[in-house]
Amino acid sequence: MISCDSFRMRFHTGTDDAALLEHLRACDRCLDFAAHADPDVMFRALGGSEIVPPGGVDAFVDGVMQQVRVRDAETTVAAGHVVAWPRRFAMAAAVAIAAFGATLVYRNDVPVNLEPIHRAELRTLTTKPIVEAYDSQNATIVEVPTEETDDVKIVMIFDENLPADL
Amino acid sequence: MKRIAVVLMAFLFVSAALADTADVGKSLSVRTFQFKHKQADKAAAMIKERLSADGSMSIQPTANSLIVTDDPETLKAIAAVLAKYDAPPQPFHLTVRLVSAARGGKTAGARIPDELKDLESKLALLRYDSIESLGAAEFDGKEGEPGLANLATYRAEFNFGEYDPASDTIAITDFKLSRIDDGTLAPMMKTTLNLKLGQTFIMGVTRQPNSQRALMMVLSARR
Repeated sequence: MISCDSFRMRFHTGTDDAALLEHLRACDRCLDFAAHADPDVMFRALGGSEIVPPGGVDAFVDGVMQQVRVRDAETTVAAGHVVAWPRRFAMAAAVAIAAFGATLVYRNDVPVNLEPIHRAELRTLTTKPIVEAYDSQNATIVEVPTEETDDVKIVMIFDENLPADL
Repeated sequence: MKRIAVVLMAFLFVSAALADTADVGKSLSVRTFQFKHKQADKAAAMIKERLSADGSMSIQPTANSLIVTDDPETLKAIAAVLAKYDAPPQPFHLTVRLVSAARGGKTAGARIPDELKDLESKLALLRYDSIESLGAAEFDGKEGEPGLANLATYRAEFNFGEYDPASDTIAITDFKLSRIDDGTLAPMMKTTLNLKLGQTFIMGVTRQPNSQRALMMVLSARR
């Protein structure tokens, strides 16, 4: 490898001298010196313009195209996984059947417990007020409590409109 | 896939059939009741409380009929009540006694009339210790017929209303009590009562709770 003095003597902008470029790859000080005068010299020193993919360009292109075909195939296969309508229908039917079945079970259970309640209500809804109406704005009607089995009912009506000498 | 769909379709069909079978017990029925002797609107008011949660009804005034929708069991119970209700006017017997009651009038030797002995204990609850009969009247009449009687210086007027089989009561409508003063009638009160058959009803009227005097009407209805 040439010396730093020799490099600086021989270096000029745009050089492709292999000895100079070899020196640049090994000497940082000369690389800084050369980059100030010719920024592209660093890439030439790295050999960037001569990069060739492993196995050659044709092999690289074949590899890329193969990847493209694989991706296309994957997309096609993924599209095939979309659920078809009969299956969708079957799934919806299964959900509907489950809900409907649950409703059937619920409805079949209800009458067993409700029937006696309806009958009990019928018995208790047959009472009427003794005094259904009384024509006076100032009257107070009071039912005197008596025993349930008592065959006498008493109601007092207090009405300021009644004469005092009853 | 087709097989699954067919099986599910079959299952759906069977489920629907089962559902129909289950609904038979809970299905609603519709029945029309036409009345010969009573008003449909009054019948509707009477059975309103008897309808189930799913029940409904509509009145047809021109045909004097009632269309009831409900489950068969409730409908059967309603039909039985309405059949009794739509009976021809029935005869009833009403007894009316008019009693004057007072407080602080009982002295040694004070006498309760024999015909009022049955009321003594009841009126004692109201602290009336002196009672006097002002008169009594008995009425025989059918539903819709009027009644009138003069009891001492009072006049009682009323109408036999409708009998309600559900509560076993007869309505005494427009019961008016008037005082006869020098040949003229002075209205005192007007009321409508529901009398349970066989039960004695005491209705006392007075100005205030601490009034010393009260007028008691003792009513009793039976067939």
